Amino acid sequence: MTDDFTPTWEDVAQRYGRKIYNFAYRLTGNPDDAADLVQEVLLRVRKGLDSYQPGSFEGWLWRITRNAFLDGIRRKQRRPESALPEGDHHSLGSSPSPDEVLASVRLSDDVQSSLLKLPYDYREAVVLCDVVGLTYDEIAEATDVPVGTVRSRIHRGRKQLRELLTWPV
Amino acid sequence: MARLVPASDARGELFSAYLDGQLTPEELKVVSQLLDGDIGAIQEFRSLQRTRAALRLLPEFEIPANLLPDGHLGDRLSAYLDGELVTMEHRRVTRHVVDCSDCRIALQELDRARIAVRSLPGVDTTMTGETPAIAAVPPRSHRKRFVAGGIGAAAAAALLVGLVVGGGDEPAFSLDDLSTRHVARASAEPGFAVLPAGMEIALP
Repeated sequence: MTDDFTPTWEDVAQRYGRKIYNFAYRLTGNPDDAADLVQEVLLRVRKGLDSYQPGSFEGWLWRITRNAFLDGIRRKQRRPESALPEGDHHSLGSSPSPDEVLASVRLSDDVQSSLLKLPYDYREAVVLCDVVGLTYDEIAEATDVPVGTVRSRIHRGRKQLRELLTWPV
Repeated sequence: MARLVPASDARGELFSAYLDGQLTPEELKVVSQLLDGDIGAIQEFRSLQRTRAALRLLPEFEIPANLLPDGHLGDRLSAYLDGELVTMEHRRVTRHVVDCSDCRIALQELDRARIAVRSLPGVDTTMTGETPAIAAVPPRSHRKRFVAGGIGAAAAAALLVGLVVGGGDEPAFSLDDLSTRHVARASAEPGFAVLPAGMEIALP
């Protein structure tokens, strides 16, 4: 999206809703939390677009997303509940064999549950980089830290993840 | 030549950033040196590479449909036909109409309805001397800008839709028919604009 273009909130929903949903799902492992986050972000985007100054739209959007996510965590910490990952069952295709399906579920479940064990800063950096696909500069802007810190967090996150995974890497 | 060998964590960080294409040219040289025959470095690199791949191959979920707006244009279609959208909004609508067959059909139906309404004869109040219950058509001088802009927008929309829809099973938006109407209007009204200022036709 070009820097001088201000989309409508419908554009944002259509274009980024899926990414926001996956971002939240991978950070929480919980589809309900992910859906809540999408709603909250779109609400904030709708309110914020009136005052948005054309610039780095993605940086603006992911700052909103991150803040909404952190606010959600703070709310949940006030009323804790268990949120275990439920696996990637609704993303399975129809063509793979049952064995392949089971292996795929185990693998992504393993990655997901390991992700959830990372410290938040590392998990966020890794998810924004590897799941959402942002550059280091965009992550730095969204998370309000220097690019060097982003680079370090991504590496440490991957390194810890590698140690947590049960399959050999 | 002595090699620059960073500490283990710094080395891994370089590998990680290399995989993401985020290294400076100087750092690229260092990585190249590190991977030149050092089995331990190569193993670490491969391991990071597989971890990164595992993350990137995580299945992507579809967002539940109820979280998204339907994405169609609704009221904006009429404003689009009437040439009442500002430039940015107009571009957005044009882009959407190019991509969305539902809205192309809706636009076509709206245009037909709009043409039908505008083709109704004006109410002549001088014959009976009575005031009609429904407001009469405004004087010609007031209608001119409205009609010119609107029909121009309709022409642009029809041109766009005609180009986009082309063949297929959908009822064709006849460019000839629209042109005929348009030429008739233009000849009847000197100064009638073919396209209003700022109107752009985006082709796919």
